[in-house]
Amino acid sequence: MLRNACAIGLRAAASLLAVSALAFLVIAFMPSDPVMIAIRAWNLPADPATIAGLRAQWGLDSPLPARYLRWLAGFVTGDWGRSFRTGEPVLDEFAARLPLSLAIGLGGLVLACLAAIPIGFAAALRPDGPADRASRLLAVAVQAVPAFWLGLVLVWVLGVKLRVIQPFSGGPSIVLLAAFLVALHSTGMFARVYRRDLIEQCAQPHFRTALAKGLDRRRALWRHGHRGAVYAMLSAVRSEAGWAIGTTAALEVLFGLPGISQFLVQSIGDRDFFVLQAYVMVVAVWMLAVNATVEAAVGRLDPRWRGNRP
Amino acid sequence: MPATTQRGAALAAALTMLALAGAVWQPHDPDAVDLLLRHAAPSLSHPLGTDHLGRDLASRMLVAAWRTGLVVVIVGAIGLAGGSVLGTVAAILGGWRERLILRTAELFIVVPTLVWALTAAALFGLSPLTAGAALGLAGVGPYALFANALTHRVLGQPFVLAAAALGAARLRLMLRHVLPNTLPLIFAYVGSQAGQSVIAYASLAFIGLGADPSKPDWGSMLYEYRMFVFDHPMLAIWPGLAIAAVTWTLNRAFDPPGEAARPAPRRLRPAGGLSRGRRRPT
Repeated sequence: MLRNACAIGLRAAASLLAVSALAFLVIAFMPSDPVMIAIRAWNLPADPATIAGLRAQWGLDSPLPARYLRWLAGFVTGDWGRSFRTGEPVLDEFAARLPLSLAIGLGGLVLACLAAIPIGFAAALRPDGPADRASRLLAVAVQAVPAFWLGLVLVWVLGVKLRVIQPFSGGPSIVLLAAFLVALHSTGMFARVYRRDLIEQCAQPHFRTALAKGLDRRRALWRHGHRGAVYAMLSAVRSEAGWAIGTTAALEVLFGLPGISQFLVQSIGDRDFFVLQAYVMVVAVWMLAVNATVEAAVGRLDPRWRGNRP
Repeated sequence: MPATTQRGAALAAALTMLALAGAVWQPHDPDAVDLLLRHAAPSLSHPLGTDHLGRDLASRMLVAAWRTGLVVVIVGAIGLAGGSVLGTVAAILGGWRERLILRTAELFIVVPTLVWALTAAALFGLSPLTAGAALGLAGVGPYALFANALTHRVLGQPFVLAAAALGAARLRLMLRHVLPNTLPLIFAYVGSQAGQSVIAYASLAFIGLGADPSKPDWGSMLYEYRMFVFDHPMLAIWPGLAIAAVTWTLNRAFDPPGEAARPAPRRLRPAGGLSRGRRRPT
């Protein structure tokens, strides 16, 4: 078990390293120079001395491999460089913004897991019953509609018609609304996956045995199907993790919430190298962390799977 | 069921016609500003009314439909070609070269498609071409893994073994026996993601990095009109409905209801060495 964890950690570190090198390369070769952008933005004289000074100050004067190694050493030790635009350490900028983005993205995913179980269970209890139809409709509908549009419509309904929330205020009600919107997309998906797995289990011998022993369908499904269906659902969490980032980004822009994606959007025009690099790293860590968590949870839930480990 | 299928086909045909029409003809110049006609109500001349600058909403929607259609086609073409070629070539090569290709493909899953596309949009500007290329290329990873797994499965089939035993050359084996069996499934998988590319493109245009503000897109229209949601909600409702109609039609076409919400072969193989899928008797 411990050896497995080490192996997973090592491979995660290897992919992080590869992603960081790739991102560094892409970012370094972006057209337009951050120094020239800054000189224009700050109305500095565009003489060689200023350019060279800024370059040296931002560490852009050394060759690319040296810059990468310096960045890598800094990244590991907690020095993520300084933002060209704000002049603040990138790590502090991210630390200030990450909780909000996490609250929306992670909160949404957790909310979706919690909501999907009762919905999926009700759907599996009576296939083609009202709950099943409703959950199918939900899944189809939320997949067809971008979350930020739904957010816009909800702002209109809740903010204008019912006056329950203050739109664009950035208050807790907006963060909650954003998390709810992230959750909505995943809930439809998770509920369908959970239901499909429950239904599949109904055909299994152990389930028929449970029925024969006298359990009714509800109890048999819960006692003998629920666990298996939960880890089917957890596997779906992996594919939703990437989607949640995109949804969170669009919602931050819609509601004007100061999260990391909004910071990225503000920084990308200025070619703020360290911010872009940090964003890619945070996203990669998030994806790997979700994967590892799901994997660990599935391993705990399903002894069969553990048995398959080498 | 046939009735709903027919209705779906009719809707798909209508949307395709609208998108194609948007490429060549609009009732009004989509960029013609008419400040005397701001926020005009729907009329015969302006079927969906006008926006805050007096531009004809229907014309803008048509142009946006064409641009979205382009993105879907480009993303699909790149995904289908790139995924099947990479996956199949990796399976033929085998050994360390296959591992290298698959690891690289996995690498692209660690950073979500939208982040790659956002970066590309900031670099090269946002147009259907760049967005389609970025979304397509960034999405090739999962397709390649899927195609690779599929190819391996077909390579183990008796008829392929027989063909190999008869001395069929590798290229011929691939073109004649393997690809005809894998391509339809890869196509279905790529198609099932087409709806998502519509939403991804709308999100990109909404976020607006590198976008050309004079070119209408459903996503950028939503961003532009979001401030008028209080007084003129229909401005923001129409583009959203268009996105929903296209995505819904695409999802239905490739993933008929009654099936799972997403096709089973979707097996995200994460890069952290977690590539073993869930093994369970079915």
